[in-house]
Amino acid sequence: MNDMRIAERVVDSMESKITARGVQVFYGQNHALKDVDVDILDKTVTAFIGPSGCGKSTFLRCLNRMNDTIDGCVVKGSIKIDSEDIYDPKVDPVQLRAKVGMVFQKPNPFPKSIYDNVAYGPKIHGLTRNKAELDEVVETSLRRAALWNEAKDRLKSPGTGLSGGQQQRLCIARAIATSPEVLLMDEPCSALDPIATAQIEELIDELRSQFSVVIVTHSMQQAARVSQRTAFFHLGYLVEFGETGQIFTNPKDPRTESYITGRIG
Amino acid sequence: MTDISGGPAALPVPKSRRGSLLTQDALTKRRNAAEARFKAYGAVAITLSMLALVWLLISIISVGAPAFRQTFLTMPIELPEDKLDKSGTRDPAVMAKVTTVGYAAVIQAALTKAIKEKGISTDGMTPKDIAGIVSLEAPAQLRNHVLANPDLVGQTIDFEILANGRVDGFFKGRVTMETARLDSNIKPEQLVLAERLVDAGIMAQRFNWGFITAPDASDQRPEAAGLGVAIIGSFYMMIVVLVLSLPIGVAASIYLEEFAPKNRLTDLIEVNIANLAAVPSIVFGILGLAVFINFAGLPQSAPIVGGLVLTLMTLPRIIIPARAALKSVPPSIRDAALGVGASRLQSVFHHVLPLAAPGILTGMIIGLAQALGETAPLLLIGMVAFVRDYPSAPMQGFFDPASALPVQVFNWTVRGDPGFVERASGAIIVLLIFLLIMNAVAIILRRRFERRW
Repeated sequence: MNDMRIAERVVDSMESKITARGVQVFYGQNHALKDVDVDILDKTVTAFIGPSGCGKSTFLRCLNRMNDTIDGCVVKGSIKIDSEDIYDPKVDPVQLRAKVGMVFQKPNPFPKSIYDNVAYGPKIHGLTRNKAELDEVVETSLRRAALWNEAKDRLKSPGTGLSGGQQQRLCIARAIATSPEVLLMDEPCSALDPIATAQIEELIDELRSQFSVVIVTHSMQQAARVSQRTAFFHLGYLVEFGETGQIFTNPKDPRTESYITGRIG
Repeated sequence: MTDISGGPAALPVPKSRRGSLLTQDALTKRRNAAEARFKAYGAVAITLSMLALVWLLISIISVGAPAFRQTFLTMPIELPEDKLDKSGTRDPAVMAKVTTVGYAAVIQAALTKAIKEKGISTDGMTPKDIAGIVSLEAPAQLRNHVLANPDLVGQTIDFEILANGRVDGFFKGRVTMETARLDSNIKPEQLVLAERLVDAGIMAQRFNWGFITAPDASDQRPEAAGLGVAIIGSFYMMIVVLVLSLPIGVAASIYLEEFAPKNRLTDLIEVNIANLAAVPSIVFGILGLAVFINFAGLPQSAPIVGGLVLTLMTLPRIIIPARAALKSVPPSIRDAALGVGASRLQSVFHHVLPLAAPGILTGMIIGLAQALGETAPLLLIGMVAFVRDYPSAPMQGFFDPASALPVQVFNWTVRGDPGFVERASGAIIVLLIFLLIMNAVAIILRRRFERRW
């Protein structure tokens, strides 16, 4: 707990990007998420922490409707992005996912070249008009994901040939290539070594200038290092949500305190 | 973490564990012996199956290989105008009035002349016996050749004709002087004459292209029988099967695996597909007879009907491996595609299908290979018929009568003349070569496109 550098906790914006009210999620009979109210601010890193199976990943996957792909998953309540309900029947999840990018727990680059990995999103969304523009998007995305220097000479080689940390940065580059407004990260560092983790964390802090980032993490140190706001989930409930500094130094709920001091979880 | 009360209870240490590590205890010995026994069973099983395979191959090849060689007579044949084209018009339509009987006389004359010129003694054999060493097919061979080139009439040409099947069998060791004495179809004197003709250079064995290209022949002339019609028929059927079952099978498996909701109905469909793969193929033959021939009115013995029946039979056998291949693509790839905003269809066609392609193609080729070797359903839709005429080019050819390789094998094994036993084994070799090529392609595809993720 000593390396929690709870500093520079400046929230740049108080504008709410995502507003969730009374969100309930059921997997068949299993009531996975109970009455969650969250406001996620723009240009802020929000961390979701909590023990395994507490619903934090489930909630994250609600934000870009990835839960739609799971059979028997029912989402109730309202989730609004820029005051538009994303569960409105008129919303096409495909359009939503272009706006809300996602990085997964395990690096999952397509078994294609590095270039094609990054170019895929812009291509299918028709974001570029010609090859030169596409090249530019690929370069910018790779630069922002801090992978350009390592990858610029091997854009045609397969993305699966990179190291784990590089693959994860490639996945981040792929996610930001479609210029999303929100970036969801589901335990992005759990498969990485400490050095790669540090690189990704640095990257997340930089990405904050453009996106609203939501990160699920098992590591409380990580939440403390990268986030401005933290939500603690337990057994499907949102127990506490607030400034990261406050959550880690002065938790209001006894369950939060037990968790961050290592007594439950 | 805090609910563990008291220290762990001391477990009693069994006596056997107290021995030295350098000596095996009784339990370890028993386990090692069981493992050794199991390995021995496996080795025995593998050896037995390898022996069976080798024995099968040796017997087929030793019986079938001679089918690829054939005895021919080559000699100058005079084509007299007064017998073959009395009108002198060289019009094939008019010349066609001369039947094979007329050509048989021409061949007999030519053979008698050739024997006389070479000074070969015939030991007082009748002209009919001498002509008996020539195949019954030979006059037809010569007639077709002359009708195709009418200008040859009046000339003397060097022509190659088939020797009789028994004579051919004599050189392959199937017929001996002893069997010839008991055989009403051949006399020992004829075999002696054949040996002399070989010495004189008139008769010789060579590679028999006719076995691969010629159509089937009647019971009395195994020497002329070939696989031409059967190979074309099988090829046409495979085209029909490929064209129908690849898109239908792949589309069905993609739908079932990626799009269909998981409910009672899809469960039922799934079970039924698995069951259909196990339905005896002859059942599909009856179905084809009822639906395609009796109801839809398609012609009998036609490759289109055979192809349709085999498609029905092959579809479940393609869908099952195709679904397995799609299922084996890790879900993380689908998540990745959906995560960047691809639609379900895009994620399937851009990412999942290319990764599943080697598995799908392998299943496809193995399904096709099974269809190629299938006999029973084809018997029921009339593909067992005796077909001498080559089917025409596609598309008309799909509706022409044809045979198929496995049916030809079946057909020949039923016939009486021992020459057909050799032909049947030869046809099996051809069939096996095709299957081997298809399986090799499947392996190459799998190796080439296999990707790690």
